[in-house]
Amino acid sequence: MADVLRPRRTAVSPIAWALGPAILLFIIFFIMPFGTMALLSFLSGNPANNPNVFFTTRHYERFFGDSLYFEALVATLRIGVITTLASLLIGYPLAHWMARIPSRLGHALLLMAVIAPMLTGIVVRTFAWMTLLQDRGVINQTLMAWGLTNEPIRLMYNEFGTILALVHIYVPFMVLTLTGVIGRIDERLEQAARNLGANRVRAFIEVTLPLSLPGILAGSLLVFALSISAYVTPFLMGGTDVLTLPMLIYQQVGASFNMGFAGALGIILLGVSLVVVIAYNNVLGRFAGGEKMA
Amino acid sequence: MKRRFDLGNAAYYTLNGAILTFLLAPIAIVTVFALNPTPYISFPPVGVTWRWFDKFLSSPEFMDAFWLSFRVALAVLVLSMLIGGLCALALARGNLPGARLLTAFFMSPLMLPAILTGLALFQLYLILDIGRPVWGLIMGHTLVAVPYVLRTTLAVLHNFDRRIEEAAAVHGATPTRVFFEVTLPLIQPGVMAGGIFAFIVSFDQFPISLFLVPPRGETLPVVLFNYMKFDLDGAIAAASMVSILMAVSVVVLLEKVIGLKAYVKL
Repeated sequence: MADVLRPRRTAVSPIAWALGPAILLFIIFFIMPFGTMALLSFLSGNPANNPNVFFTTRHYERFFGDSLYFEALVATLRIGVITTLASLLIGYPLAHWMARIPSRLGHALLLMAVIAPMLTGIVVRTFAWMTLLQDRGVINQTLMAWGLTNEPIRLMYNEFGTILALVHIYVPFMVLTLTGVIGRIDERLEQAARNLGANRVRAFIEVTLPLSLPGILAGSLLVFALSISAYVTPFLMGGTDVLTLPMLIYQQVGASFNMGFAGALGIILLGVSLVVVIAYNNVLGRFAGGEKMA
Repeated sequence: MKRRFDLGNAAYYTLNGAILTFLLAPIAIVTVFALNPTPYISFPPVGVTWRWFDKFLSSPEFMDAFWLSFRVALAVLVLSMLIGGLCALALARGNLPGARLLTAFFMSPLMLPAILTGLALFQLYLILDIGRPVWGLIMGHTLVAVPYVLRTTLAVLHNFDRRIEEAAAVHGATPTRVFFEVTLPLIQPGVMAGGIFAFIVSFDQFPISLFLVPPRGETLPVVLFNYMKFDLDGAIAAASMVSILMAVSVVVLLEKVIGLKAYVKL
């Protein structure tokens, strides 16, 4: 039937030309810039104003030769991993609730509660955490007023504060990814397990949790990819204690104006992210039958 | 048996209540500080004042930045709706070989670190020696905004029944007429929802702007960030409130235009 209605299946339709503007945009403002970044990372200087530039791998040698830079890479990955795990622990219960709540209004309200912070800018949310965690912030002032501590506890200007704020910023992505997957798990499977004598915890661990694994993986990769590229939050929340790759990159541009080294750092961060993105697409492709996009 | 059941439920809702508080408390606290009269963050609040909103609204630095962000976001809204809408049509209706791979390619700016997109564009503009024009900033934002429009429009295109278009064609409508009278009205909510999201993404965009803002014209997030390095007074809270109110209106608008649900399929 469908074949009769659509005889011209293979021919490319003229509507394909509508791709034109997007292709133009992506070639000029996506492929060319990233190509430039890769090129500059192998050049000794800026070819626009210096005729004597030559190819070199010294920017990469500098990165791998100095433990400071390597430690920044390790710190970036560590912050990414901890942020991801914490987002998963916090995001899962909320996603489960959202997926299982029977009332439509309840679902809409929960959805709004998750999306509203997502739409509030990163700078604004980092500011909110600074007001909470500073030495003279809400938490410390309250603790001191209650006499629980005499001097402020250091809640920010360290990795703890950075990770806390990052979790807040990226947990909505985790919740939204997980909700979709948990919502598709038939609730009767869990009921069946409980009818067969499993308690609530066991039914969850043996039925719901394994079935939601694709969502866990997809959400984790997304949050990881986002958190290793954060700049504002580590800069403002981490103080001098935290140095991550994105911070190094901006330093190289803003303070040292070393485009080649900034490019090399960019390529290294890009490499890490690409591995994550490709893994993400593979995982989604495997579990969702290739229906998902990016 | 019954008792343990209730205990489990109580634990479940307490945990979720705590998580919701964690999500929403920082936003609530910004409201408190925007209205609190003391110049530095102090808790509990001592009163209610509009002076920070006054300071924000009467500061040329903040207002110039606000209007620049607003104009850039409007331009991004229009451009990303046009480019993203057309791109979605081509991907869904063009019978292109490798359409799935192309879709992944056009979605990829979302997945790559935005700070790298900023750096890469900055380096390109540097090599081309074009300085940092506002249109360069707009194009950078558009690149990251197109995937949002693409996603919502593709979702609508996949969900609506193609036979509606075929029925129109069978009844004698030319392809052009089918497009303007059937396809376009049907995908309009998807394109608009994506455009609204693109607006807010551009308005709040930080990492790309950090590299691309013109030296004498900074966008609101960049101004806020620079201000926050040295000072944390109520003016930041008031500026933040303005951003939050904008975000909330966008959520409400999205719910009205297309319904949030269609939209959050990640």
